[in-house]
Amino acid sequence: MNLVVLYLLLVKATLTSFSGLASLPVVRTDFVVRRHVLTDRQLNTAVAASRIGPGPLGIYVVSVGYLAAGAPGACVGWLAMITPAFLIIPMLQFLGARAEHRRARAVARAVLFAGAGLMLSAAAPMARDAITGPLSLAIVAASLILIAITRLDSLWVMLGAAVVGMLSFLF
Amino acid sequence: MAQPRLSGVIGLFSRVGVTVFGGGDPTIAILQREFYRRDWLSPEKFAIAFGLARLTPGTNVLAFCAATGWYVLGFLGALAAVLAITIPASVLVVWLTRAYDLTGHYPLAQSIANALLAAAVGTMVGAALLLVRTQSSRGRWLRPIVIALGAFVLAYFAKLSPLQVIGAAVVVGFFWVEE
Repeated sequence: MNLVVLYLLLVKATLTSFSGLASLPVVRTDFVVRRHVLTDRQLNTAVAASRIGPGPLGIYVVSVGYLAAGAPGACVGWLAMITPAFLIIPMLQFLGARAEHRRARAVARAVLFAGAGLMLSAAAPMARDAITGPLSLAIVAASLILIAITRLDSLWVMLGAAVVGMLSFLF
Repeated sequence: MAQPRLSGVIGLFSRVGVTVFGGGDPTIAILQREFYRRDWLSPEKFAIAFGLARLTPGTNVLAFCAATGWYVLGFLGALAAVLAITIPASVLVVWLTRAYDLTGHYPLAQSIANALLAAAVGTMVGAALLLVRTQSSRGRWLRPIVIALGAFVLAYFAKLSPLQVIGAAVVVGFFWVEE
């Protein structure tokens, strides 16, 4: 597949969505239905790989690019994924010194606290998938305590969980 | 606030990019906690980055990374943050795509991913508690708790989108200003 066309199709999908997998219907319409570049099975593979792997769910567009055009396609998918992120910088520049105003600071802190509530609301459905037995419950509890109470680097929390997951598979 | 080096920004974002599973929310939770631990970003700037990232098209967490990188080191920081969090993770996802496409499954990776997802859940709850606790010092606990719980109820029970919840928080924050 032509790389420029691939980029334009993927960036159209990412620019018209506001979260990781929200671009999926647009990608499916363009790649599976209209152009027959991918099958539904391949699109599912791309989504599954993004769910198994680390990083944002929107990273599935890298897989889509890879399945459509190999390694160069993966690079194009990556470029299409990151392009919209930089649109935030003009918004930050516009805010600039206005953000230091007392009422603006109060609004910012309210958004911060709402962010804590949003984190909890996102964690709740994830917990239903993640907690499958005593071991996963113990991992949730241990990581919660380590993150909330200690100053331990989060890297060790993640690495510890990975080791536990590997050991549980091997033994 | 501490001034990080470019290598520090690249190091933090790249390792968060390859060690945090479960999507953008756990990634933001981990980054929030690491910014706090390293004293890189004020709570207000974190909040602006968090709020505006929801208004930015595309993958929200990447806009969040661009914003926080921009705050700590300007455009170079934004570029470094976005590249660092996406490149290693993209290489991994291509490798997983190959493995998944060939075998249809990858049980060891799945087992590790499940454990990391559980850790991500604990991390998100821990980071949310840490955020409220650290910002409600000196007896100012009512506003943080009311807004955080209100946001949780609106998002989880009333099924409002994150953007709508943030919009509600903006209104509350505008009219409810603590002395």
